[in-house]
Amino acid sequence: MTTQELEQLLAQQPIALLHRLARGRVQRHFRAGKRRLIEVLLRHSAENRPGFESDLMTLIGEQQARPSPPPPPQTPAARKPKPSAPQRRTTHRPVEPESHEPAITLSSWLEGLGVPPTKAFIPDAWQEDAIEKLRKGDVVVSVPTGSGKTYVAVEAARRAIAENRTVIYTSPLKALSNTKYTEFSKIFGPDQVGILTGDRRDNGQAPLLIMTTEILRNLLYDAGGGEIDVRLDTLGLVILDESQYIADPERGVVWEETIIFCPSQARMLLLSASIGNPHDIAEWITSIRPTPCHLVRHTTRTVPLRAGYLHPNGKLTPLFRTVGIPHGHPSYLHTEAKRLFIQYEDETLPSRSRR
Amino acid sequence: MPPSIHPIDLILALRDKHLTPAIVFLTSRRACDEAMQAFDHSQILLPPPRQRAIADVLDKVIAQYPSIAEHPLIPTVQRIGVAAHHAGHLPSWKIAVEELMRHGCLDAVFATTTLAAGVDFPARTVIITQSSIRKSRDFMDLTIGEVQQIAGRAGRRGKDLVGFAIVTPSPYIDLNVLTKGFTGHPEAINSQFVISYPMVLNLLKAHPLDQIQPILAKSFAQFQLNQRAEVLERKLDDLRDQMEPYGPRVCTDWITEWQTFDHVRRQKSHRAPVRRHEPPEVAARFHFLTPGRVVAFGRTRGVVLRQYRSKGQKSPMITALRLGGGITESPASTVTEVSDRVLDCVDAPVYPWCTPESVEELLHHLEELPGRLPELPILIPKDDEPIPDAIVQTLGDFACPTCPSRSACQRDYPVASKLRQEQHRHVKSIQALRTSLWHRFQEKIDVLQQFGYLTPTAHLTEDGEWARLIRIDHSLLITELLRAEAFNGADPAMLAAVMSSIAHDDDRPGAFPRVSSGLASLLGQVRKLAASLSPHEDPPLLRADIAAVTERWIGDPGLTWIGLCKSTTMAEGDIYRLLARTLEFLSQLHTLKATHPGLADTASRAIANLRRGVLEELP
Ligand SMILES: Nc1ncnc2c1ncn2[C@@H]1O[C@H](COP(=O)(O)OP(=O)(O)O)[C@@H](O)[C@H]1O
Repeated sequence: MTTQELEQLLAQQPIALLHRLARGRVQRHFRAGKRRLIEVLLRHSAENRPGFESDLMTLIGEQQARPSPPPPPQTPAARKPKPSAPQRRTTHRPVEPESHEPAITLSSWLEGLGVPPTKAFIPDAWQEDAIEKLRKGDVVVSVPTGSGKTYVAVEAARRAIAENRTVIYTSPLKALSNTKYTEFSKIFGPDQVGILTGDRRDNGQAPLLIMTTEILRNLLYDAGGGEIDVRLDTLGLVILDESQYIADPERGVVWEETIIFCPSQARMLLLSASIGNPHDIAEWITSIRPTPCHLVRHTTRTVPLRAGYLHPNGKLTPLFRTVGIPHGHPSYLHTEAKRLFIQYEDETLPSRSRR
Repeated sequence: MPPSIHPIDLILALRDKHLTPAIVFLTSRRACDEAMQAFDHSQILLPPPRQRAIADVLDKVIAQYPSIAEHPLIPTVQRIGVAAHHAGHLPSWKIAVEELMRHGCLDAVFATTTLAAGVDFPARTVIITQSSIRKSRDFMDLTIGEVQQIAGRAGRRGKDLVGFAIVTPSPYIDLNVLTKGFTGHPEAINSQFVISYPMVLNLLKAHPLDQIQPILAKSFAQFQLNQRAEVLERKLDDLRDQMEPYGPRVCTDWITEWQTFDHVRRQKSHRAPVRRHEPPEVAARFHFLTPGRVVAFGRTRGVVLRQYRSKGQKSPMITALRLGGGITESPASTVTEVSDRVLDCVDAPVYPWCTPESVEELLHHLEELPGRLPELPILIPKDDEPIPDAIVQTLGDFACPTCPSRSACQRDYPVASKLRQEQHRHVKSIQALRTSLWHRFQEKIDVLQQFGYLTPTAHLTEDGEWARLIRIDHSLLITELLRAEAFNGADPAMLAAVMSSIAHDDDRPGAFPRVSSGLASLLGQVRKLAASLSPHEDPPLLRADIAAVTERWIGDPGLTWIGLCKSTTMAEGDIYRLLARTLEFLSQLHTLKATHPGLADTASRAIANLRRGVLEELP
């Protein structure tokens, strides 16, 4: 490969691949934009050109093996699909089940935009289900963002408080705790809600206490060591919001500790955004707690979502050929979006347009 | 064509299509700030009633949080109806922006993706400009779950019939990551269980040593390790079935028997032995350079992904994942140390020879390993000489040549021995999966015993009793500082300053106030101690410039927030976060009032000084 060929090949790769290639080779490569990154990589490749090229080819090979190659950045002339040849992202278009329907228009994509008429609040079936299941045991809720997890938390807390039980609600961030403190104070009344931080305790005797998960973990450790601090004996419900944080590299362990040491008489309610394996979480909790843990999950969004593409020149088009999101078909791109994006890549990457 | 759409064009396009309000996720704070500046002289004004609505909401928030009354963004927010919301801002400012969004007053908010989880407000439209995100100093592609969390902010229940997630390209974008994110299923999440010193102390405070293993077994980490072990156990069952035809023959352990016989036979044969030009220690080591083995190459450490022999020379080679993420092909002779540690890794048939998850995990474990690891004792045979005569069995000692099952053994040996090796490997992996947490716990116990926080029977010592109350990062450094009485005589400002240099983990450079000479020499002492603890705990950055900011704020109660902000180039939000974290650290010191009354008192005076102005606004 000549240096120029190598440069071209690099320019054809997505930036993520270049970063992967740069790992361990180039310091602070994440700070560099694509053009700069290619420059630095080329300079570096001089040290061990064969090793560099072989790594590059391996990464490209891997990329092909990925289920959905991205639209190959190509000059239009070279864009002829060859379905029989092995799919190589740099030279061929990915095979895609051909749609017989024509791609939708922008106006049909925008259709239906607007404000819904106001309706009386009727809880969703999954919300009722979650609250009901909490009577029988712990509950993990995994639903898309914006579905209405707060309603479940509020209703569950209301019931526990009515039974003279203390409720602890935790969030991963102090900022979110503050927001919830304001929100819950409005719903339950200011005397019913307290907040605990490392150095401050506002209304610490209230039946509904808000804190970060770290603070709760510390309370549980103190209780384990014999120093009862908050009234853990009357604790009836622990709500862990944003519990997908259990997978946070630095802080995830705190969620595990909290769940392991949560007093057995208290029910646990875990609220989480959509994750791939919520049943694992439920099964795990069932295996370590006295009551079974139920999973309440739904994956469809309450407000449907559409995806679009906005070109830097201000032109808007649908991103996919369908009005909604074509689940399971990542390369079902709208022809116009595809065309514009290829044009974008061609124009922003000088080394490619030189050909 | 510009590399990305101009903010004014963006807002005009959104307004034109009735796609407001929108959250515009940008790559950096700087990008957000620049987007706001673009509106400075813009005339795309809101109609007066909407401007008034914004002013009304802002007035209410300002009444509660006076710190934002003079916020420089307010004019633009009011005139144009756009705002920025990122970690460089004060929490009170972010509350104001959120409140404006909740009231539907704004057309757009420019935010950073880093805080997608912290952006607790929805909009009709979300604009996505990037496909990767900075995570612990490296840019990583967004996961499907992350793309959906970001896109999920679009479409407010009760306010929108549909939501829109719109991609607009920037030079960083990989469209494939996003389309996959929109259309895919979120990834499974994995446990990130880390065993820390305070965890060990607190568990041993409440439970005797023999109850610890069952407690660790309750973790999600162990749950997932068990899942992996079960997969291997199923494979093992499979292997057992496959081994069926290779059960006992004339001799019970015919596989070993045949192996030895075959070996001796080859030694005896007159053909020149396959000579490889490799020193005996390399040859001896090569057996141990199996996937997962932690090794050192001079000063850098790595983990073996596979071993092979080079094509032409047949010299022993390994592929290794090095600390920092590089994957290299090196001659086995470049390995300078073979540790006794083997990390779990799930093999794969192609580069990088294990699953991508394994790479991540291995890297993670590599980083976590202590500075010094025990070396594997490897017996190095002297030169290439054959096994000494005394031990060598002559061919006559084997029954094989005349054995009735000789031909069967000869035929089956390659398959059977491979299956058996695989069995052994799985058995070992399963054992590792079942016991790894406990081993990690024991390692921490060893260190705590060595430092005198635990007795030889793993009970808390007097020091352990108070040390367990320090439940923050760098706890070992902090408790060792207390034992060294490093803070005796330190005033509140100095104590707080040191705590903030321990708490602060960002290496973003900037201009800062000068440190006092007292603080500088105390920090020197802290640095020395931190370096000496580095085999057991990663040292914090301990930036003197950062400490100086805290020192000024606590040391001079007359200093205003504006005054403090002017003394450094650090963003307001960063200063706030620094002081808030310092507060957290100080309040942990405050819990030591029974054993360290003087220190607890200094800490509480520092807290009182720290909590003023902006830092008093929120709990
Ligand atoms: N059953 C329902 N019917 C109508 N609107 C609902 C229902 N449940 C929740 N909402 C509304 O949906 C919006 C999003 O709810 P929220 O709890 O914030 O979502 P998330 O699941 O992201 O926490 C809120 O405005 C809430 O009032």
